[in-house]
Order: sequence, then structure tokens, then C-alpha cells
Amino acid sequence: MEALILDIQRMSTEDGPGLRTTVFFKGCNLACGWCHNPESISFKPDLNWYMNKCINCDSCKDICPNGVLIKDESGVHFKDRSKCLTCGKCVDECPGAGIELKGKKISVEKLKNELLKDRAYFGHDGGVTLSGGEVMMQPQAATELAKLLKADGVSVAIDTAGCYAWSLLESILPYADIFLYDLKIFDADAHKKHTRVDNAHILDNYKRLIATGARVWVRTPLIAGATDGEDNIKAIAEFLRDNGLPERWELCTFNNLCKDKYTRLDLDWEYKAHEKTKKSYAEKLKETAQKYVPCAVYSGVTTE
Amino acid sequence: MGQIKQPKNLSPRIQWLRDYYFKGFDREWNNEDRPFTTGTPWDSNYNEMTYYVVPETYTFFSTFTAGYRYGAKKIEPPKDFFKQSIAERRAWFVKKAIVENVPQEILPGDLLCGANFNLSASLCLDKKEAADKDKVILNKKNGLRKQTFEFHDKGYGNCGPTSGHLQPGYEIPVKYGFKHVNDDLKARYAKLSEDEKKGSKGAQLRAMISASEMPRDLAAKYSDLCFKKAENEADETRKAELIQMGENLKIVPWLPAQNFWQAVQSLWFTHMLVMTDESYPGPGVSFGRVDQYLYPYYKKSLEEGMSPEFMKEVLKCMWIHCNTAYDAMIRVGMDQGITAGYGQLLMLSGCGKNGEDLTNDLTYLFLDVIDEMSPMLEPKPNVRLHRNTPEKLLDIVCSMIAESQGAPFLLNFDERSMAGLLHEAKFAGIQKLINEDNVWDYGSVGCLENTMIGNDRSQTVDVNLNFLKAVELTLGNGKDIVPYTDKLWGKVYKSGQDGPETGDPRMFNTFTEFYSAFKTQTKYIIKRIVDLYNVGDALRTKYLPTPYLSCLVKGCADSGKDVTQGGAEIKFVTVEGVTFASTVDSLLAVKYLIYDKKVCTVDRLIQALKENWEGSENEKLRAIAKNKAPKYGRDDEEADALAQDFMKFWANEVPKYHTTTGHQYRGGMLSWNYWVGDGYVLFASPDGRRRGQFLSNAICPSNGADINGPTSNINSVGTALGGKDESGKYVNWLPNGASHTITLSPSLIRDDEHKAKLKNLLRGCVENGGTALQINILDVATLKDAQKNPEDYRHLLVRVTGYNAYFTAIGRELQNEIIERESHQQF
Repeated sequence: MEALILDIQRMSTEDGPGLRTTVFFKGCNLACGWCHNPESISFKPDLNWYMNKCINCDSCKDICPNGVLIKDESGVHFKDRSKCLTCGKCVDECPGAGIELKGKKISVEKLKNELLKDRAYFGHDGGVTLSGGEVMMQPQAATELAKLLKADGVSVAIDTAGCYAWSLLESILPYADIFLYDLKIFDADAHKKHTRVDNAHILDNYKRLIATGARVWVRTPLIAGATDGEDNIKAIAEFLRDNGLPERWELCTFNNLCKDKYTRLDLDWEYKAHEKTKKSYAEKLKETAQKYVPCAVYSGVTTE
Repeated sequence: MGQIKQPKNLSPRIQWLRDYYFKGFDREWNNEDRPFTTGTPWDSNYNEMTYYVVPETYTFFSTFTAGYRYGAKKIEPPKDFFKQSIAERRAWFVKKAIVENVPQEILPGDLLCGANFNLSASLCLDKKEAADKDKVILNKKNGLRKQTFEFHDKGYGNCGPTSGHLQPGYEIPVKYGFKHVNDDLKARYAKLSEDEKKGSKGAQLRAMISASEMPRDLAAKYSDLCFKKAENEADETRKAELIQMGENLKIVPWLPAQNFWQAVQSLWFTHMLVMTDESYPGPGVSFGRVDQYLYPYYKKSLEEGMSPEFMKEVLKCMWIHCNTAYDAMIRVGMDQGITAGYGQLLMLSGCGKNGEDLTNDLTYLFLDVIDEMSPMLEPKPNVRLHRNTPEKLLDIVCSMIAESQGAPFLLNFDERSMAGLLHEAKFAGIQKLINEDNVWDYGSVGCLENTMIGNDRSQTVDVNLNFLKAVELTLGNGKDIVPYTDKLWGKVYKSGQDGPETGDPRMFNTFTEFYSAFKTQTKYIIKRIVDLYNVGDALRTKYLPTPYLSCLVKGCADSGKDVTQGGAEIKFVTVEGVTFASTVDSLLAVKYLIYDKKVCTVDRLIQALKENWEGSENEKLRAIAKNKAPKYGRDDEEADALAQDFMKFWANEVPKYHTTTGHQYRGGMLSWNYWVGDGYVLFASPDGRRRGQFLSNAICPSNGADINGPTSNINSVGTALGGKDESGKYVNWLPNGASHTITLSPSLIRDDEHKAKLKNLLRGCVENGGTALQINILDVATLKDAQKNPEDYRHLLVRVTGYNAYFTAIGRELQNEIIERESHQQF
């Protein structure tokens, strides 16, 4: 069995308890406008450009079998990205580290061995986090991987947006020690507008998940004009109160530090010029949240 | 980045002493070198060989020699002085100088006596001895000085018999007093036959008997001074302190210490006189396991009503005293390379025989003192961690790391370290001296060099070898491939057949052939450095005894040999391997470029190296070497397997050699600052490094090579040292240990939850890492440098938001933003 993965991040301190190795599965069924990992959305490999590492040797342009690369005063770039075959020849040819093909297939067994290289650092609370993209869009690979890790005595965290049939979540439940569960927008229409999917599954899956007694950390990104309305926070808070409190609820403040990721993919990003969350506002939302959910906190950079 | 670490909780006394110390040259008092001479026309009081390991000083030897001699005060030697052995002369002279010719001084408020200990004492040689020694060193044709310069100029490294770098048996004078040492020596002497008394053994014991009385005589002087000062002291509290200090010195270090204050006084006196005796300030003269052997005094004094606060006050005074060792160089400024860390190291915590933890209340008291006094260079604390290190200790360690720019101590990992010491016991056949039952009682000297305590001199910084030179000789079939210049005169050295002819590399069909030739060249550079070192070491053996130090090293009294003559029970010389990762990465690049991917020919590579990788075609090849060839330090199996194979090879090669006094060579990795300076000397290397760029440091991966983050870096280091065997036992081919530094972002340890994550990292290091670790918490300056030189910082992990990213992989603007954030730390 194979998984399509984007990357492995070792010694991650932000993907659950303890020190963790996080594997990012590629492909997501949501399309949130503010996404911080745009390279994780597509279910196909993507070419990423790191212009600051380019040494202007033209190797990529010369080798491209489809001739989709051109060079002008701004350097080498796509004439038409849609015609790229993602054959990876330019990546092999590049003498530097200027181009990367994000997304590779790897057998679950091999992946597990790779993820266990840092086992000595996991301690009693750390482990492996399966993240994405949406890891549950590769349910068989994800479940198989979690099963193998669990059998090896390693703690598994599932970082998910929860938008799929309950049966998928149910099948991975026996092998997961903690869920990092995203609740972005409570209102169904608004959710659809900003993420292009309905949130009925998400809310329903949360109810079922928390009812099983699973360990859950909920995360809500604070996105201006989308998720950071006080009414939205209040609605999620009430939902959590009424259906079962998570162990932690994190309001993640916004910053635009991922904008280069969009450039690397030749994409425009509607949030590129958005301001960071104001500290006073984050505090206010936290207070609102805590009225219903005492464990609520906010995290991330803020501005005064 | 948070606040720069500041000292805290200092009493007015300590605050004053600390501030006074940092006034540096503006102080009215300082501990600069005081030169003394016998007054003979041939006398010298400067031994340049101790500076052979400091290439920055090479151009000053003639000036120093003349300068020290010129300013020296004459001490008239007694009649028949030159009929005595050199050791006896030296014992008499040093004692005469420090007791009667150096002023005793006590700073306001100080609770410990013992200042003015830096001496440049006469070497006490007679005319013939001086001439014989100088002939070996200064001979214009092939003198040791000339050979040493050429060796360094051509990029091989450096070597020379230098001082310190051991843990004397300090526990003995503290516990039993120097009288006990003196009585023991006298009893031994009395048992000698008349012939033995007339011989070298008798002479050595007489010298040691004389030297062991030096602390008594000096203590008496200081004791008198305390009482005299007390008489004139108006302040009653201070008066009482001075009287007690005088009383203390009536007892220690001659007699056993009776409480904590006396124990620390005894320790300081004993320690500073080692520096006096060696006439060399501070380098690696280390205190050993202070929290263990001072613990009984701590406990007793606590029971007798001495407050822990007062004990801290006494220790803080010792901290100030340790730093005054630097005054030897006060005229050349505090920031010169040669004063960058003397390494009076002290050990804390660690495991016992059965793996049990030995942390005690005194360990925590020491940590308090470190925390309250830092930042301050000396002494250098080293905390031993192991599988059973308690959570409380780790919590404190992590908090202290989090609050400092660089951790205020080194971390040593017991299991890996002990495996190395057991390895040396095995290859040296000294299992009686180091074995499973006593290896836990080891300590480190200088920076992190592991040795046993009280009976071990392993000459840990004397031999520093650049492995990368062997790569050049392989490519040149035994010759240099680029010209090397005489640093003194600017003359280009002739490129002769220095190394063996291992074959024209263009004819090699496989990497195996290349690697095998490289191993032969490695054997050659090892032999060459050993041969060079042995010349200087033999001179030290003959002419430069340290009889006082010998009183503190077990084995010297038994054998009647000075510690410079192989008197110590455990005796090694450590070859510190420099440029390890640069070498391994260069081999990996050769393998990738020439044999695996056939990107270029050997000729093409040599041409690029000769041209220092400059020009667009070379630039492209260089990019492949840097970015595409595998690298050590990222937990890559192929790369780390080569690192491990090479490590095993060289570490097992050096023990084939001994000095004339029977010190056996052993391996270690400590690059001090050579990786910077020698980067300008050594040829551009196949790993993509240009001449003029830094080499790799100690066992660390090359700058920027560890792209998979700190844990993979740490795993690679552990693997390179030998990893674990099939049964899960630690393997370590470097008994000395290896210096390893990592840098973390402050954001990774920004709150208690994240500090707990750092604990997990350290527990992982115990399992997978090397022998030691130094953690730096990066600062804004580092981030800015990373912006300018991204290829050197590819490992730099920063937290962006909700995820970590490699700093250099993100755009300039965002980098600026993160720098700004680190400046304000708004979490």
C-alpha cells in the first residue's frame, strides 16, 4: 500500500503533544481561501520554485521536454504551468535546490520506518502526527499506517478537518491516541462559501468522535471576514459546550507568512496583504470562547 | 530573542567583585603574568611549545621570548642549584617566586584567598640544557618551530605539548590535606635505596616533597595577611570574616577541611597553584565532580548552621577567582582568540555504578550559582545526563537553556561517554584502571574531553589533525594540489611528494579504490603528526617538569616520575580530529560526482578546486556538489555509513602509536577555533567549500548540511561514533568524546509546555546522540547572518505559525518579519 505524501517534518513542536514527527499527506477536499499549505491541496505532485536558490544556469529550461519554461529578466518561469507534465526532469537537472517536485508516493511500510527514526525523542507524550492536506482522503493508507505505528507502541495523532463519512474516522479510531480537529465556521452557508464544502459531516463527526471518549484538541483559525467573527466563535463555543468539550481549544491567529508558498506555485492569494490578528481582538475572542469552553486559548503571532 | 541573560540575586559583595572584574585593564589590581628569572644569560621563562596549538601566536614567539625575559625579576638561585635535578630546581624556584616574590592580595569583601597566581617562572635550565633544548626547537634547517609552522601552513593542522587538560586529584588535599601528601612522599622517599635516592626517582620525590609544601607556605602568608587586615578593619562583619579566613588558612590546604568554606578555600588554593606550577593560565585544568566530593562538607556545614546562601556566596567568590586566570592576557585585550575560554571545567550530576542518579542538593546549589553569575566564562560547568536523570534536574537545565542565548553549561551524555572510556581501556589493556565498576566516576576537562579523575593525563588538545588534507593528498597522488604559502615570509612552499604515492586518481575505476587510497593518506597524516608531536613531547619530558602538579596525579609518586614523564597511571595523547564532516562530505561528493553519477572527471574536479570553484561552469558543478551529493548530518543511511566507517578507521589507527613516555594515542573531536582559521589555509574541497570558507566544526555536520533538523543531526552524530551494537549496547570509538553544537530558535522553548519538549529532545540525545552537546539559542544577529548567508543556515528551524519552517526557505520579507518578531517576542 502506498501513500502520496508531501513532506515529513521531524522534531515538530506544533502538531500535538510532545515532540513529534509529522507526515503531511497530499491532497485536500477542502479549499479554504486562507490555506497555509497550498502545496498540499492538489492530489497530484506540484512543481515548487525557490527563486532565491536559483543560480541562473538554465539547466531546467534546456531539459524541459514540453518546452513550458521560458526565461526573461525575472528569471526562469512557466510559460504555461498547465502544460507541465510534472515529469521531474528539471528537478533532476537543477544543480541547485531551486526546484522541488512536491508529492511522492511511498509504501506505508517504508514510511513507517522513516517516521520512527526519531522515536527516541518522542518520550511519553510525543509521537507521530498524520497531517495534510486531509489525511483521511487517503483512508486506507492512513489507517494502515496508524495501525502499524500503534502496533509498534508509538502514539498517533490525526490532524483532520473531519469532512467525510464517519466510517472513515471510525476505522482509524482504534489506532489514534489524539485528534487535532479543525472547526472553522459554524454557519453552514458561510462554511461552504469559504471552504467550498458543507460542514454537516464535520459537525456530526465531531459529536460522534467526542462521544467515543477520544482525546481531542480543537483548532480554529482566526481569519478576518471568514472565521473570526465573534458570533462564529460563540457558535462554535456553544456547539462544543453542548456536544462535549475537547481537551483544548486553540484559536490560531492569522499571519500571511505563507505567501511565498503561493508564489512558488505561481498562484495569487487573496489573503496575501491581510494584517496579522490584533492582540486585543484575540484576547476578546478568547474571553468569549472561555465563557463556554474554559480550556480555550489562542496561539500564534499577534500585533498590538 | 528575549532579554539578554543577566546575572541575578547578587549580594553587594559579589556585585562589586563581578563589576570590578569586568573593568579589565582599568583595575588597579590584576593577575597578569609575573615573569621571574634565575638571571643566567641563557635563561628563558617562556616555553613556546605550549602555544604550538595556537597558530594565531606563531608570529609572536620571538617577541614573547624576549619580552618575558626582558621584564623578568631575578631570583638568586642558591649555591649548587644547577647540580640538582631540573624538577628540584623548578619546585624550589616556583615556590620561591609565588611565596616570597609575588604580593599576596585580598580584594574587598572576598571570602577566598589566593590571587596573583599567573607566573612566567624560569625554566631553570643550565647552559647546556638550554642550548640542547633550543637546538631542537630553533635549528634553522629542520627545527621543531620550523616544522610546526610548515605543518600548519600546509594545512595538516597543529600540535605541541601544552599544559593543563586534566582533572587533578583535588579531593585528596581537600579531604586529607597536603600534609598527608607530603608525609606519603617522605615515607616513599625513606624507603628508597641509597642508589635510588641518588637517581632520578629520588630526585623526583625530593622535588615533589618540596612542591607539596608550597601550598602550606603560601597559606601561612595569606593567613597572616587576613589577620593584619582584620586589625585595621572598621566594619565588624568584615572583620569577623577576615579573622575566619585567616583561621581557615591555618588549617587548609595543609590539613583536612572541616567545613564547606574551608573545603572551597582548599580547592581553590590547590587549583590555582597548578596554573602557577605550569606557568600557564587555566587551560583545561578542571575541577572534577565537585558536587560529589564537596557534598560531605555541604551537609556538615548545613547541619552546623551555615546557610546555603552563604555557601553560594563562597562559591561565587571562587567564580570570580577562576576568571582572573584571563588576566594573563589582559594586555592583549579580553576578546583575543587565545583567551576565548580557558576551560576550567566542573562536573555536575551523573550516574553511579548501577546507573542510579547521583544528583544531590549541592548539584542544585551549583546550578543556582551558575544561573545567578552567568554570563561569565569561567568556570565551565558540564552537566552529566543519563537514562535516569531526574525530571527536576532536566526541568532546571531546560529552563536555564531557555533563558540564555547559549546554554550556560555543556551537557555530557554518560552512556555514550562511558562506552568510549571502556573502549580505550580495552585497546590500551588497562581494564584494571578503567572498568565497568569505576567508569561512572569519569569527568571532562577543558571543553568536553572525557578522562578519568585524579590519575589520568590524556593531553587532550595537543594534537589537532585536519583530515581534509588526506583528501587533497589522494587527489594529488601524495602531493598538494594547490600552492601553500609560508605565513611568516609569504614564500610558496615547494610541492613535493609528501604523502605516499597512492596512485593517479584518474586511473581509479571505483570509489572503493579512491577510498582505499584516501585511507592510506590518512595513515600518512596520522603518522606525520605523531612524529612531529613526539619531538616536542620528548623535550617536555626532558626539560619541563611540573612537580607540584605531579603531587596531584596518582601514579607519579608510585613511579617516581613527573606527570610530564609519563608518571600518571592513565596516559594518553588525544588526536583531535578536525574537519570531519568536511572530509566525509568531500568523499561523498567525489563518489557522487565521479563514480555514481559521472557528472565530471577527476581532472575536471581538480581543476575546479584549483580555481576555487570560481567561474560559471565551476559554479554549476559546485551547486551539484553542495545540493545533490549526499551529506553527513541528515540521518541519511549512505552518508552516515561512510561517516561511521571512516570514524572507525581513523580512531583505530591512532592507538597504534605511543610517545616516548608511553602515552598512547587515542581519538577525539574538538576543533576549538581551527575550523575557522584553517578554512583560509586548506584547499577548496570537493564538498563545494571554497578556500576561505569555514570548515566543519568537530563532529558537527557542515554548516547548512543538516536539512532535516536537530534530531536527524543528533542521530547522525551518534551513528558516526558507532551507534549501538546488535545487543543495544552503546558503541563509541572516541574515548575523548566529540564536540557537538546545535542551534535552536527561542520560539521552540517559549513557554513551559515547550520547555518540556526540550526535555524530550535531551532524553533522545541520551539514547541516540554523541558524548556531549552545546545548545545555542539563536539570536537576531544569527538570523540576520542567515539572511546574508543562507547556505550556511539551511538547518535553521523557526516557528512561523502552527508549523515550523526552515528560515532560509522562506522569502526575504518574511525573514525580516520573523527577525522583527524575534526581536520583540510577541507570543
